[in-house]
Amino acid sequence: MKKLMSAVLAASFTLSAAAHDMVPGEPQQQPVLLQGGTLYTITDGIQPQTDLLFENGVITAIGKNIELPENTRVINIDGRHVYPGLIAMDTTLGLVEIGAVRATDDQEEVGSITPEVSGHTAYNPDSEVIPTVRFNGITHAQIVPQGDLIRGRSSLLQTDGWTFEDAAEVLDMGVHLSWPRVGLNTAWWERRSPEEQRKANAEALKKLHQAFTDAQAYYVAKLAGESQGTDVRWEAMTGLFDGSSKLYIHAQDKRQIEQALDFSREYGFDLVLMGARDAWRLAAELAAAEVDVVYGAPYGLPTRHDEAYDQAYATPAILAQAGVNFAISYPGYWDIRNLAFAAGNAVAYGLDQQQALAAITIKPAQIMGVDDKIGSLEVGKQASLIVSGGDVMNHLSQDIELMFIDGSAVDLNNRHNQLYQKYRQKP
Amino acid sequence: MSRSKHLSKLALAICAVIPTVSVASQTTPVQGLHDNTPTFVALQNATIITEPGKQLQNATLVIRDGKIIAVDANNQAPAGARVIDASGHTIYPGFIDAYSNYGVPEVEEQEHAPYRSEAPQYNNKREGGNAANDAIHAQKRWVSEYANNPKAAKQYIEQGFTAVQSARLDGIFQGQGVTVSLADKIPNDTVYRAEARHFGSFDKGTSKQQYPSSLMGSIALIRQTLSDANWYETAFGKQAHNGPVEFNAALAELGPVEQEGIVFKITDDKSLLRAHDVFSSFDVPVTYLGSGFEYARLAAVKATNSSIILPVNFPAAPEVNGVDDHLDVNLADLRHWERAPGNAAALARAGIDFSFTLHDLKKSDDFWPNVRKAVRHGLDKDRALAALTTVPARIAGVADKAGKLAPGYAADFVIAKGDLFTEGEIKSVWLQGQEVELEPLRQADFSGNFDLNIANQQIDLSINDGKALSGELEYDGTKQKLRSMTRDEESLQFVVDGEFAAVKGAWRFRLQQQSEAGYRGIAVGPDGRELAITAQRESAAEDATAKTNEQPAASYVSKVTFPNVAYGLDALPERHNLHIKNATVWTADDQGVLENTDILIKNGNFERIGKNLRTPSGYLEIDATGMHVTPGIIDEHSHIAIDRGVNEGSEAITSEVRIGDVVNPDDIHIYRSLAGGTTMAQLLHGSANPIGGQAQVIKLRWGATANDIKFDAAPPSIKFALGENVKQSNWGSNYSVRYPQTRMGVETIMRDGFLAAHEYRKRQQDYQKLSKTEQAKVAAPRPDYRLDTLLEILNSERFVHAHSYVQSEILMLLRLAEEFDFTLTTFTHILEGYKVATEMAKHGAGASSFADWWAYKFEVYDAIPQNACLMAEKGVLTSINSDSNDLQRRLNTEAAKSVTYCGMDEHEALQMVTLNPAKQLKVDQYVGSITPGKHADFVLWTAHPLTSYARPEQTWINGRKYFDRQQDQQARVAVEQEKQQLIQKLLQSPDSERAGASNGYKPQQPTWHCEDNHDIWTDGHAHTHGGQHE
Repeated sequence: MKKLMSAVLAASFTLSAAAHDMVPGEPQQQPVLLQGGTLYTITDGIQPQTDLLFENGVITAIGKNIELPENTRVINIDGRHVYPGLIAMDTTLGLVEIGAVRATDDQEEVGSITPEVSGHTAYNPDSEVIPTVRFNGITHAQIVPQGDLIRGRSSLLQTDGWTFEDAAEVLDMGVHLSWPRVGLNTAWWERRSPEEQRKANAEALKKLHQAFTDAQAYYVAKLAGESQGTDVRWEAMTGLFDGSSKLYIHAQDKRQIEQALDFSREYGFDLVLMGARDAWRLAAELAAAEVDVVYGAPYGLPTRHDEAYDQAYATPAILAQAGVNFAISYPGYWDIRNLAFAAGNAVAYGLDQQQALAAITIKPAQIMGVDDKIGSLEVGKQASLIVSGGDVMNHLSQDIELMFIDGSAVDLNNRHNQLYQKYRQKP
Repeated sequence: MSRSKHLSKLALAICAVIPTVSVASQTTPVQGLHDNTPTFVALQNATIITEPGKQLQNATLVIRDGKIIAVDANNQAPAGARVIDASGHTIYPGFIDAYSNYGVPEVEEQEHAPYRSEAPQYNNKREGGNAANDAIHAQKRWVSEYANNPKAAKQYIEQGFTAVQSARLDGIFQGQGVTVSLADKIPNDTVYRAEARHFGSFDKGTSKQQYPSSLMGSIALIRQTLSDANWYETAFGKQAHNGPVEFNAALAELGPVEQEGIVFKITDDKSLLRAHDVFSSFDVPVTYLGSGFEYARLAAVKATNSSIILPVNFPAAPEVNGVDDHLDVNLADLRHWERAPGNAAALARAGIDFSFTLHDLKKSDDFWPNVRKAVRHGLDKDRALAALTTVPARIAGVADKAGKLAPGYAADFVIAKGDLFTEGEIKSVWLQGQEVELEPLRQADFSGNFDLNIANQQIDLSINDGKALSGELEYDGTKQKLRSMTRDEESLQFVVDGEFAAVKGAWRFRLQQQSEAGYRGIAVGPDGRELAITAQRESAAEDATAKTNEQPAASYVSKVTFPNVAYGLDALPERHNLHIKNATVWTADDQGVLENTDILIKNGNFERIGKNLRTPSGYLEIDATGMHVTPGIIDEHSHIAIDRGVNEGSEAITSEVRIGDVVNPDDIHIYRSLAGGTTMAQLLHGSANPIGGQAQVIKLRWGATANDIKFDAAPPSIKFALGENVKQSNWGSNYSVRYPQTRMGVETIMRDGFLAAHEYRKRQQDYQKLSKTEQAKVAAPRPDYRLDTLLEILNSERFVHAHSYVQSEILMLLRLAEEFDFTLTTFTHILEGYKVATEMAKHGAGASSFADWWAYKFEVYDAIPQNACLMAEKGVLTSINSDSNDLQRRLNTEAAKSVTYCGMDEHEALQMVTLNPAKQLKVDQYVGSITPGKHADFVLWTAHPLTSYARPEQTWINGRKYFDRQQDQQARVAVEQEKQQLIQKLLQSPDSERAGASNGYKPQQPTWHCEDNHDIWTDGHAHTHGGQHE
C-alpha cells in the first residue's frame, strides 16, 4: 500500500503521527536535502533527478551534487515529484466547521457593507478541516469573508500554525466585494417581478457606489487632516486608495465583470476578478486590460441552459489561449482539497498541464503579491513545498508524502486518517 | 359616442332590468304585468354556418321561445315572425367556453406566509362528510352555487360566447361543473347541464394542509382518491374491519366520474402525459386544459386520445432588445415564442380535438386577434370554428342543445360582418333568443372622399371612418382638419374652420347618409345661419383594418426537437451493430482490464470480446486505438430529471408517491451527464421522510418521453431516510411537531408502518378466504397504496435504498429489517458505513457512498474518504453515488478517489460506478459490465478513465449513440445560429407579434438535492445543500 510508505516517511519527521491530534511543525532545525526527486519548479521547468536543499526555512540550492552543509538531513525521494505547496484562493477554511451548525459558522457578518471584518480574525487553526486539505498538498489558503456587497478583507494563511499569527503569510491583503446581481433570475421560486428584480439590482449597485464615494471622502479628509473621527468601515478601505491593498471583486456574469472593470478603472484600483464564470466571453478584453482572474468554477456546471456542457471545464484553456493571467480556485472549505484535481480536469478540456500547475501555485502567489516568497521552487524562496508519489493533479498518483512550510515539516495526519486507522482495527 | 364595440353601460343596465320586470320563469309568480312580447323572429338573407363546414347562403334562421325552429335554405320567413334583414352578415352558432369560473364563487387570492414561517398544518377541518384532504372538493356541485352574473357574462358575450361550463377552480378535485347559458336570466332558465364534468388540477390551491407538497404527491393523492371512490361505491353501507364504512360525500360524488369525466388543468406537455397515465388507469375520461406546449410532444399527446381546451394566451416575446439580453434567454423560450401560436394548427393536423377558451387571457379583447393569429399559423378555419362550437359543446355535455344551428337547438348565435377568422366583426350575440347588440347591424358609412356642396361651393372632403375618426376639408388649395368629430348610427358631426358663404370662422357640420353614395346635412355658420348641404361620395376609402389583417401566413425559423430545448434531437439515435477496435477495455467483470481488445455489438447488446476480431458485414467500425472503453456509468443516487419537487416532505411515511410519476425527460442534465459517461441513474425521492417515495431507474435516453426513459426491467425500489433530515433538525423551530423528532422515533414510526402493513395484509387474506356471498355482505378492505408499497418491501418485491449517515441509525435499520424479515438493499451515501461494515456485510446490505463529502452538517462530521475502501474490504457491496447533477458528470474520478485515499485496485474502483451499482439496482443481468449478452451501454474515453485527464468522447446506450463530442461541437454552432435567427426575427417583429402573456414559458426547475424540501404549490424558496459547489 502506497499510503503505508507515506506514513513511514512522515513518521521520520514527527512524533505526532500516533498522537491524538496534529501538532504544528517546529521551525526547521537542520538543513534538509530532498534527493533525487523530479522537481516541478513551475518557473524553471521540470527537472528530473534533481536535488533541492533548504535551510532555515529557505530554499538554498537546486541542482545536482550540491555541497551539503554540516548536519544536513538527506531524504531520498527517488521517483517522487516535488512541487511548490498548492495555494488555495477564495476559501472559508477555518471560518466554518460544520456548515449546517450555525454556532460553527463565522463566514459572513451581518449587513451588506462590512469592509472592517478580516478573515483571519475568526480563523480556527484547530479546525479539523485544515489537516485534511494539507493531505492534498495545500500549504496556503486565502481566507475570505462572505457577504452580499462589501464583504471584508482576506488574509493569506499557512495551513499549519498554532494561531492565525503563527500561520500568517499576509494579513488583510485586500478588500472583497460581491458585485451586485445583474440580469434576471428566472427560477420558479423567484417571487419578484422582472421590474422588482431590476430595481433591486440597481439599488444594490447604487449602494455600492455610495460606499466607495464615502470611503474615498473619508480617505481624502483624513489625508488633509480633516477627519471627523475614525470610521472603522472606511478606515478598512483606505488601503485601496493609497494603493497598498488590492480590490477583489467577485463577479460571475459578463455584465458584472464589465461593470467591475469600469468601476475599478474609474478609481484606479488594482483589480482581481474572483469567480469569473463568464470570463471566457471577455477573454480578449481581460487580457488586454491585464486584469488578474481567479477562476472559480473549474468543476462548474454550465452557467446557462444553452451553454456547452463543458463550458466551465474549458474556460481555463480559453483564458490561457487569450493570454489572460489567471489562477484556478475551488471556493469552499472542506472541498477545497479537490483543487489539484480540478486543475487536472481543466487539462482534460484543453489547458496545458504546466499552465494548470501554475494556476494553483505561482499564479495565486503573483496575484496576491507573494511570489517573491512562495509559488515556485526557486533558490531564495521559502521552503513551502510538497513531495508527492506522482502527478499531483491525477487522482491515481497524487500521494502527498511530505509537506514543508517555511522549512517546517508538516504533519499530514488528519481526522480522516485517524478514523480510518481506528476502524481498520474494528473486527 | 365611443367607437368601441363594448356593450354600453346603458345596454347592460337594460339587460339587468328586463328579467325582473317582464320575464319570469315558469315557477316564479308574476309581479305586475305579464310580459307577452312575441319571441318569434326570422333572420333573413343571411349566410348561415349551421356547424363547422356547413354553410348556407342567403338563408333564414327562425327562432321562437329561445330555440331555433328552422334554418331555411330557401330564405323563407314564416308568417307572423318579426323579420330582420341580415343581408351581408354571417350567422355562426354561439360559442361555448368549456373552462370557466363564470357564475360560481371565485378563488380568493391567497397570501402565503414565507416558507416555514408558520407551524405546519397536517390535518383539515372535517365538515359535511368531506375528504381528509382540503385539496379535494369533489363533493361540490357547482350548480348549487351558480347565479347569473351580467358583469362577468359581458367579457364572454363580447367575444361571441353564449354558454360556458363552469366551476370553482380550486384544488385537486374541484367539484362538478355546470354548463350554463350566458343569457341574463335566472339560473332556472340558464342551466344547460346541471351536472357537467368534474374539474381538477395538480395544484392543491387554497388548501393549507401540508400534503401534498409536490407534484408527485398530488398525483398520488389523485390515485388514492380514485381508488377510494371505486371502493366506496361497493363498500358504503357495509361493515369495514373497524366499524361501518364512513359516509364520505367527496367519494360518493366521484363514484360516477368514469362516466362524467373530468376537465383537468395541466401546465405543460409532460404533465398532460402524467395526468393521462393516472386517470386512464381508472378509466376516467379526461379533457385537458392545455398549456400551449402540446406541439412539443405531439405524438405522445395524440396517443392519449384526449381532447384539449386551449387558452389562446401566447407568450410575450422574451426581452432581447438590449445588447446583453440574449444572456438571459434560452433557445427553448425563443422557439416557443415563435411556435406557440401554431400549437392549435399542429393539434389539428395531428387529428387531436380541441376547443378554445377565454381562460388565462388577461384581456378578453385579445381573444379574437389571437385566434386569428392561430389561423395565420395554419389552423384550418373550420377546425377553429369547431373549437368554439361543436367540440366545447361535447366537452360541456350540451352537444344536443348547443354548438350548432339546427331546429331544437338553443337560439344561441353570433351575427358577424365578414369572416371572423380573418377580419370580421361581431355585430350582435343572441342568447336564448335575446339579442345583445354590440354594434348596430346597419349603420351609416362615412368613409371616403366626398364632393361637398355648401352654398354652391364645391369642396373636397375626406373622412376616415375607422377606429379613430379623422378627416379634412380642402378648398381654395388649403386643407383644414376636421375636429370634434363624433358619429352615431346615422350621422356624423364635426367642426371645421372655413369660409363658406363668405362667412369665416368655426363651422359646425352634420352629415347623414341617404344612399350608397349620397349624403345630406346641415352646416351652422359662425353667425348662426343654417345651410343645407349635400355630399356625394367618390369612392370608398380603403378599409384600413382589412388591410392590416391580411397578414401573410406564418413561417418558422426554429426547429422542434426532442426534447424541445437546446441540444435536443431530431429523432431517436439509430441503433448500430458495431465493431470497436483495439481499445483498452475495462470489462468491469471477471476479465478485468483488457488491452488492445475488440468488442462486437449486435442488436443493442455486447456480442463478443476478443483480440483482432473480424468485422462482420454491416457492422460499423470504430477505431479506438489509444482509447479506453468502460461500461456506461450507473448512479445509484440521482435527482436529475425530476419535475416539481423531489420530496413529498409533508407526512413521515409517503410510500405511495412515485418519482416515476414526475420524471422530466427534458432536463438538460440528462445530456450533460451523458457527456460525463453516465448511462443509468436511479432517481430517488428526497430525504425528508423516514419512508419516502418510490424510486425510478432510468436510462439516460435523451430525447425520449418520460415513460420511454424509464428502465422497466429494474425491480421496484424506494427511498428511506434517517437522521437529521427526517427529524427536521435543520427546518427551523416551527417544524418540531411531526413525529419523529429523534432517531428513536424514526425506528418506531417505521416499525409502526410495517406492523400496519402486516395487519392490512391479514385483512386482505381474511377477506379472500370468505365465500362470494360472505364477501358481498362486508366491505372489502380499502386498497391503501401507502401500505401496499410497504407490503411489497416486506415481500421482498421492492427494495430499500436508505439515506443514512451515522452508525447508530444504520445498525437500527439493519435490525429492523431483520425483524421484519427482509434485506436492506442499499444504504445510500452512507458516510459512517465504515463503522458498521462488518454488520452490514453480515446482513447482506450494500453501500453507496460519497467519495469525499463531509463537514456540511453534524451527522457527516465523521465521514472519511476511506469509507468505500473499508466497506469493500469488509465484504460490503460498495458503490459511489453522486446525489448531485455536477458529480453525476464525473463519477469516474469520484470512484478514483478510493485509489487516491486508500489504494483501492483501479478496476475495483471502476466497478464501484458500473457493476456494483447495477447489482444494487438488481439490474446486473442487463447492465454494469462489458459482458456478452448485456446491453451495449458504454463509454469511449480519451484516456485512463480514472484520471483527471480522461474525457468521454462517445456514450452509447443499447447500441445507440446518445453523446458524441464531435456532434456536440456541431450542435453548439447550430444552437447559436438558431438562436441568432430567432432573435433577428424577434427584433424585426412588430409589437403585435411580441405582446402576450408574461408567464408563458416553462419555469426552470431548480437543481434538486435530497434535502430540498418545500411546498411547490405554496411557492417556497429552495434550500441548498451543504456542499459548496453546485
